[in-house]
Amino acid sequence: MASIALLLSVVGLTVGAPLRDVDYEAEVRPLLAARCFGCHGPERQKSSLRLDRRAAALRGGDSRTPALVPGDGAASLVIELVSSADPLSAMPPTGPSLTADEVALLRRWIDEGAGYGDAAPENDTQLPWALTPPVRPELPAITRPGWEHPIDRFVLAGLAAAGLEPAPEADRATLMRRMSLVLCGLPPTPEETRGFVADTAPDAFQRLLDRLLGSPRYGERWAQHWLDLARFAETDGFETNTPRPNAWRYRDYVIQAFNADLPFDRFVLDQLAGDTVGVDVATGFLVGGPHDTVLSPDVALTRQQRQDELADMINVTTSAFLGLTVACARCHDHKFDPITQTDYYALQAILAGVRHGERTLPSTAEGAAVRRAEPDAAARPAVSALLNEEAFAPRVASRVRFTVLRTNSGTEPCLDELEVFAGDVNVARAATVSTSGDYVGNPQHERQHLNDGAFGNARSWISDTPGRGWVILDLHEPTRIERVVWARDREGVFADRLAIEYTVEVADESGAWATVATSEGRAPLHDAAAELASLPRAYAGRFEEPAPTRRLYRGDPMAEREVVAPDVPRVLGALALPPDAPEAERRAALARWLCAPDNPLTARVIANRVWQHHFGTGLVDTPSDFGAMGGAPSHPKLLDWLAVELVEHSWSLAHLQRIIVSSRTWRQSSAPSAAGLARDAAARLLWRFPPRRMEAEVLRDSILAVAGTLDEAAGGPGFSTFAPNDNYVRVYTPQDELGADTWRRMVYMTKVRMERDGTFGVFDTPDAGQACPERARSTTALQALNLFNSSFVLDQARRFAARLERDAGSEPAAQVTRGFDLAFGRAPDVGELEAAVLLVESHGLAALCRALFNANELAFLP
Amino acid sequence: MSSPSFRDLSRAGRALLGRRSFLAHFGSGLAGIALQRLLADDGPIRPEIDAAAPLAPRAPHFAPKAKRVVMIFCSGACSQVDTWDHKPELVKRHGQPLPGADALITFQGEQGALTQSPYMFRPRGECGKHTSDLLPQLGALVDRMCFIHSMTSKTNTHGPGETFMNTGFTLDGFPSVGAWVSYALGSENEELPAFVALPDPRGVPQASVNDWGNGFLPAAFQGTPLNAQGPVRHLAPPSGSGAAAEAATRRFLAELNERHLARFPGDSELGARIASYELAARMQLSVPSATDLGAESAATLREYGADSSDPLRAGFARNCILARRLVERGVRFVQVFNGAYAMGEGVGNWDGHKALKEQYDVHGPILDQPAAALLRDLERRGLLENTLFVWATEFGRMPTFQKGASGRDHNPRGFTTWLAGAGVKAPFSYGATDEFGYAAVEHPTSVYDFHATILHLLGLDHERLSYYHNGIERRLTDVHGKVLTDLLA
Repeated sequence: MASIALLLSVVGLTVGAPLRDVDYEAEVRPLLAARCFGCHGPERQKSSLRLDRRAAALRGGDSRTPALVPGDGAASLVIELVSSADPLSAMPPTGPSLTADEVALLRRWIDEGAGYGDAAPENDTQLPWALTPPVRPELPAITRPGWEHPIDRFVLAGLAAAGLEPAPEADRATLMRRMSLVLCGLPPTPEETRGFVADTAPDAFQRLLDRLLGSPRYGERWAQHWLDLARFAETDGFETNTPRPNAWRYRDYVIQAFNADLPFDRFVLDQLAGDTVGVDVATGFLVGGPHDTVLSPDVALTRQQRQDELADMINVTTSAFLGLTVACARCHDHKFDPITQTDYYALQAILAGVRHGERTLPSTAEGAAVRRAEPDAAARPAVSALLNEEAFAPRVASRVRFTVLRTNSGTEPCLDELEVFAGDVNVARAATVSTSGDYVGNPQHERQHLNDGAFGNARSWISDTPGRGWVILDLHEPTRIERVVWARDREGVFADRLAIEYTVEVADESGAWATVATSEGRAPLHDAAAELASLPRAYAGRFEEPAPTRRLYRGDPMAEREVVAPDVPRVLGALALPPDAPEAERRAALARWLCAPDNPLTARVIANRVWQHHFGTGLVDTPSDFGAMGGAPSHPKLLDWLAVELVEHSWSLAHLQRIIVSSRTWRQSSAPSAAGLARDAAARLLWRFPPRRMEAEVLRDSILAVAGTLDEAAGGPGFSTFAPNDNYVRVYTPQDELGADTWRRMVYMTKVRMERDGTFGVFDTPDAGQACPERARSTTALQALNLFNSSFVLDQARRFAARLERDAGSEPAAQVTRGFDLAFGRAPDVGELEAAVLLVESHGLAALCRALFNANELAFLP
Repeated sequence: MSSPSFRDLSRAGRALLGRRSFLAHFGSGLAGIALQRLLADDGPIRPEIDAAAPLAPRAPHFAPKAKRVVMIFCSGACSQVDTWDHKPELVKRHGQPLPGADALITFQGEQGALTQSPYMFRPRGECGKHTSDLLPQLGALVDRMCFIHSMTSKTNTHGPGETFMNTGFTLDGFPSVGAWVSYALGSENEELPAFVALPDPRGVPQASVNDWGNGFLPAAFQGTPLNAQGPVRHLAPPSGSGAAAEAATRRFLAELNERHLARFPGDSELGARIASYELAARMQLSVPSATDLGAESAATLREYGADSSDPLRAGFARNCILARRLVERGVRFVQVFNGAYAMGEGVGNWDGHKALKEQYDVHGPILDQPAAALLRDLERRGLLENTLFVWATEFGRMPTFQKGASGRDHNPRGFTTWLAGAGVKAPFSYGATDEFGYAAVEHPTSVYDFHATILHLLGLDHERLSYYHNGIERRLTDVHGKVLTDLLA
């Protein structure tokens, strides 16, 4: 497209010179300015079209139809619209139509090449700062003793330019608390604080830092930041919001990646193409988003759903790693950043083979062991509750019959979906279903679920006869078929009601049935439930070789245009892949390109995110938008320095953590100064460490830690705070009475999409509908009500009180002192002690504990 | 405590700033650079939010016709051809195929024949507009209604359809209409939530919290779900600890926080959090007084049907009374849901695929009397003069019955919604479907247009009301929508 535009512009400029041409400046521009530029000029670009610049007019607007075709006025959209009689499309939309003379003038001008003269402005093509690879900048001169750290030299230079002074260093107890909360998301114990305060060795600070970075709690804290970006949740979202029982493995992968300080470039590769390097679970990133599982035979709808799925994967990939928003380019070229619609579909081609769903984890030790234990291939494998394929010589069929003769449980057989393939098209979707009889009284198991395209028990069919039943699919038309695929429960939850003796028959138009497959020759089924349990599975997506990707006109899935090869945005580089490159190779190529030395964005974007989670705001305060609409960096050279430092230290995020925490900038007190508040209230220049209210996870975890009830069990399936529910449209009702199984860290709380935890959700937890690069930090009365009155907090207050009695005996003053120590890491002052003892004596120790849990001092990062 | 000035706001607070003060403070600073370009006279408007009082009332963009909204939302896709969209041709051609629909595959599959409504349509009101016998009490109010008969949707799946109708997107994760309105305008009563959602007594609607979620807007603007049966969660401790203990604990907490604030003078987030506890204490009184229907007269309860022997109708009636009480108290946006999640097709909501008459015979009376009473009551009390009343559903249904069934499949190509009250022309009918009620043919209207019009009536320019998220200035109407000026009084 760009090259065509260029070619045309050359033609236009060279050809359009002879005789007395129409004069753009004197004749055309005044007309366009009066009637067109108001909506399609420098100020506004309705439908993304501007006519005051030649290149833009040649490119066209949202429709991507060139507004001008130099040399051919009659074929130009502009002429069509200004002479249109249709009031809905005629231009200009208001005021009188152009006169015949005016139309003729425009037409002649275009016929002559649509030259804009020399004075017309053209697009400036200078690259934005973020698209130029970072180089290690020179450090500012040292201007203050003790501020030699590279970060401090950049920050101090910024402060000096604004006439601001840095804050003094915070006291050691505050530093201990800050470091523990930032790195591990938990307050330190009083003993840890005392130990650090008393440790006067010169390397005490570094040892503390190393200890916290080595703690399993570190990965649990920092994984949450990444899970926010990955819009990670353990349910599908949309109407059914069905659970994904094996999605937690991706969450554990992220936690382990931080704890092991997995190099970030490897972290990128794992998540985009982990299946190519033996880390299957990590591709849970790609399918972490919502998935609309309600399918319909309506083709347009099905394609739209698929496009939405892919858009989610594209958006999360580009925003998380590149800090670029490409979503708008789905329908038209990006208005502000140099991302074209073709770029968008090139990215789509990279991910076009990714499908939602689970897969087994062959690369794990458990998975490999199970595989080895499987009987050898003399017999066909035993039937599986998860998936069975019956392939046969292709034959024309009008009807397909699946007859179950025996089930493993002896109860009525269940099929979650019966698929019949002609090539890769499932022709069962358009078939009419009849059965031997249907299970009565449960809408989850009706016959229409057999070919509704939705998998899993909640959309399955069950017969009305124990052990037996048949299904007939009358195909839409006689079709050459070659394969039948069936399962009990593709979601892997149920393994009972499994057909272990069955026949598959087809009938052609004559109506005669012929058997094409049976259960005969299959290895005996050992124990389907055990099989399920022994094969680790993860919600990490399924991969298939996709059809060629085509650009969609205005993003309409029914308006396919030219084939687009898998690639990255043109302005950033090229992958040089053929259109039919194997799909795994496409994803791996993207991952390698993201972390290639000349990629300008990836290192900057992740370095900025790490900074953001220390100081509350990134150096770029729009952490997933480094484009033209994003914020300018407060310290551009510092950002580049950090990015280069990260790459040169093998992409070690722990290295970056050490560098940041070791700076004086980080160790500053958070107490405000009048001058700082007056000139830079948000402390973007870092004249202090900016304090802030902590996230929901830190609040909940802190309450448990202070109460002494926190269960530090790491990893594995999560816990839920919702009442159990198995309606096929899930209903998530918060539960009030929560037992000890819910006292784990909140990162292990099963993340339900769109529904937020009934107590802590109001503290701006993301809903996982969209990626969340930065949490809002709102303050509301509902938050206060939840923290003051919820049964969770009141229950923990009672447990905290019991702990204080155990720790400090029955003397109120000792209890209060211990309570302040545990909650705030300090002793109460005289006034506080007096008021607290009074409260304990009049209303009990739990009342004090409830107040401490609600205190600003507990909720804020100091 | 003094109210903090905006320059003390956190990063989160700054994200909410309006353009004027944004420029005044940041125009030459760091954060302003990238955005200046957008903040031209027709650029986005981000409401100015006071961190200590995020629900404080805010001025609209221009003089509004309506100050607040009551929306009744019928979950499950309420059939237009059985309620509001009168099609004599459907009666005449009953039993014949829908022309041009031989190969039509809709949501569940193939179509049977055109089927007239089991409910008789008759002229009602002074205007004589025909509506069906399914909803006679609402039908009697046609003179107050402004119908849009040419609504269209982008999807024919309930979840995304309901989400589209309530957030402007078919995908998860976007703010609801009520959240946008609370974000733009705050509330006239800070002691109640600005936006209240009243789920059906049968349960939450199909898209559940999507319908009242705040998406990426700050949590302050989310809808608070409650109903006449269930109050705000955690409004009071589960087992009362006694008024004296409550007060003493609050006093101690306040003192603790004030001492802490003294170490961080001028930190508005700390101040705002102290204020939030004071507001919470006031809500403990104001919410029960708003939700207590004990003060309502027997006549009122009877008019709404709260005395009905059908517990569902009585429950929905109580929600409708509650809606009026909330509106009276200045709540900005009240959304009353009729119909819940799918519990089997058409059982819990308007999704009449298989046995439409049997199902609508149940659902019609639950909706009709209470909703009609609410509209009459608002009018009688003068509230309709500055309240916009909206009736909506996620999409329509086919004029045909499904092949082999006695109900109608999903149809996003044409359906009906109506408005009443402040700023709306009535009686009035806008747009039309074809002769069978299948597809919008006159003034096809998008959900974006519908939302743009609601915002316009509230004095908001849908092209400018904006929130920056993840690299995009987000709008309720995305990049679409036009105000339906024909509907404006």
